[in-house]
Amino acid sequence: MKKKVLALLMVCLMAVTAGLAGCSSPQTAAPAESAAPAGEKILVGWMGSLTGDQAVWGQCELNTVKMLFEEINAKGGVLGKQLEVIGYDTKGDPQEAVNVAKRLTTQDKVCAILGPNASGNAIPIAPVLEEAKVPDIATVATNPKVTVLDGKVKPYNFRVCFIDPYQGAVAAGYAADVLKAKTAAVLYDVGDDYSQGLTEFFEQFFVKKGGTIVAKEGFKTGDVDFRPQLSKIKAANPEVIFMPYFFKEVALSSNQARELGINAILMGGDGWPSEQLISMAKDAVEGSFFVNHLDYDDPEVQDFKTRYKAKYDKDVELNGYLVHDAVLMFVDALTKAGEANGEKIAQALETTDIKGITGRIKISKDTHNPEGKDAAILKIVDGKYVFQQKFAAE
Amino acid sequence: MFFLLNTVYFPKRVKEKKIMTQFFQQLINGLSIGSVYALMAVGYSLVYSIMNFSNFAHGGVIMFGAYFGFFFLTFLKFPFPLAFISAAICSAILALIIERVAYKPLRERRAPFLYFIISAMGASIFMENLVIAIPAIGPTFRTYPEIFNKQPIKIGELAMGKLDIAMFLISAICLIILIYIIDHTKIGKAIQATSYNLKASALMGVNTDFILITVFLMGGFLAGIAGVLFGMKYTVYPQIGIITNKSFIAAVFGGLGSLPGAVIGSVLLGIIETFTAGYLSSQYRDLIAFVLLITVLVVRPMGLMGKVTEDKA
Repeated sequence: MKKKVLALLMVCLMAVTAGLAGCSSPQTAAPAESAAPAGEKILVGWMGSLTGDQAVWGQCELNTVKMLFEEINAKGGVLGKQLEVIGYDTKGDPQEAVNVAKRLTTQDKVCAILGPNASGNAIPIAPVLEEAKVPDIATVATNPKVTVLDGKVKPYNFRVCFIDPYQGAVAAGYAADVLKAKTAAVLYDVGDDYSQGLTEFFEQFFVKKGGTIVAKEGFKTGDVDFRPQLSKIKAANPEVIFMPYFFKEVALSSNQARELGINAILMGGDGWPSEQLISMAKDAVEGSFFVNHLDYDDPEVQDFKTRYKAKYDKDVELNGYLVHDAVLMFVDALTKAGEANGEKIAQALETTDIKGITGRIKISKDTHNPEGKDAAILKIVDGKYVFQQKFAAE
Repeated sequence: MFFLLNTVYFPKRVKEKKIMTQFFQQLINGLSIGSVYALMAVGYSLVYSIMNFSNFAHGGVIMFGAYFGFFFLTFLKFPFPLAFISAAICSAILALIIERVAYKPLRERRAPFLYFIISAMGASIFMENLVIAIPAIGPTFRTYPEIFNKQPIKIGELAMGKLDIAMFLISAICLIILIYIIDHTKIGKAIQATSYNLKASALMGVNTDFILITVFLMGGFLAGIAGVLFGMKYTVYPQIGIITNKSFIAAVFGGLGSLPGAVIGSVLLGIIETFTAGYLSSQYRDLIAFVLLITVLVVRPMGLMGKVTEDKA
């Protein structure tokens, strides 16, 4: 009997943990007991990775949104109403992102969604948004297809960051013009839209600048060993290796590259910057360059940085800065729209022209992308991100 | 050995030398990946040889081993060898707990083997989600402190990471000790007898329950070592278990239940994978690994070195 009870207990415990981790449990910012009528609140959705490799970024985004909403609410809210965020975990999975978008639009009836951060998750949610007429502002989703598909702009998808072609082109331009590199190799994630986008445009621009791509090697999301590919790259002996993927793989592959005795300069995109990259691969990425959305020492971002640090006792990740500007975009559009109506907010978003902490955000009506945003080139020196210059690709 | 072979091909032509360097570099990569697979694969084979089912909870134990090692090194600041052994011991105990909670009740009830596999999968999923749900661990990945620096040891053009050499040696030593124990000690003989026929050896006076405990402790110990090595090389995260699927394939490839088979299967799989990625394309790597698994199961169901049994699950 005692054993049966124990077994039953174990099963219950299993079910509970599976439930905890398996379902995307809502993380609302407001206290559960709030008795205010529904009309007094404006519900805003957020989606992103709270588990998985990119959890660090997702958590930072949600924290930032919560903090900013609290600050806005303390000042009386927007249109006299309080803002409330409902955040769900996408686990970095496109399928899950679609489910989350459906849940936010049909069950929670939010007027707008912030996030997700990854292109692969932002692309498939478009039909859901169009059906529900709810706009979405993606944070660090840099793939062109997030807002434009087959030359047509998606009516409810917006973004606050610049796009991949731009990053790939900036990296290629910097490698050719400033670093004077003639040969480059690319290692990329074949299963990831972001990585493919950057690769395509890096190749295109590097060749246009007179350089040669001497090796192009792929790997699959989830891989941890890159030595077979890196050994091939080593044999091609490039001056620069472009690594357009996320920091975990960047850390592993750069460590392995150095272990194989590869001394080429490493370059990457906005998937790089993270505190974890330095802790994992300090020596391996020393002297590397990457394209980023902003310069961390820019005076414009210091105020937000200190507020975040004071509240959460953690450093802001890149996503925090961009979701900060996404919130500014949303509040601006909501004010212009005059009511929490998805369609009207989407219309107002098309005329956005605000000054964010990551630069001027002027949304183009034709692409729903911010236009003319400068990219920052950062170099890793002594484990710190050192701003080199603002660089725009022609 | 690489030395000798390298000098044979050495001076002729630069291009030829480059191709040979590339070949041996990929061979080294493959051996180093294969040696970690081997350490994981023998755990599957050990349990299979006795209980005739695939203990999928093994992946979970490996993951916990990696976290134990991380915890001892980072929070308790143990010196590396002590942290290493402690993590292995903790993993061994964990493997035993899983046996007691998830398998023993089934065994006492003489449940069909399918139940064991389901129970094992349940335990594996449970462990993965448990780690995610514990706030102190969480879903993000963790990095081991640097124990071996990244300066490679170079032999001519060939580069070998210090960590890789250490991994290879530690794996080899563990496997040799394990095979010695199985072949040359009394308990090893008892394990062999039990694996041959559990009921008959129990009738002959072998304490099969004790043998099971030993087998799970040994499997867990090796899982702990594999986990720490894996964590040092590739960081620690809750989904490490997915990688262990590869070592399971290696164990089946070599012949589930056979320890030398598991080792040979693992090394071969590591080398085949590396060569596929290095000479064809990394996209074909898993394709080839799984085609290999299916081919082996169709053509030679007992694996390369496995004993003939009716039941493979």
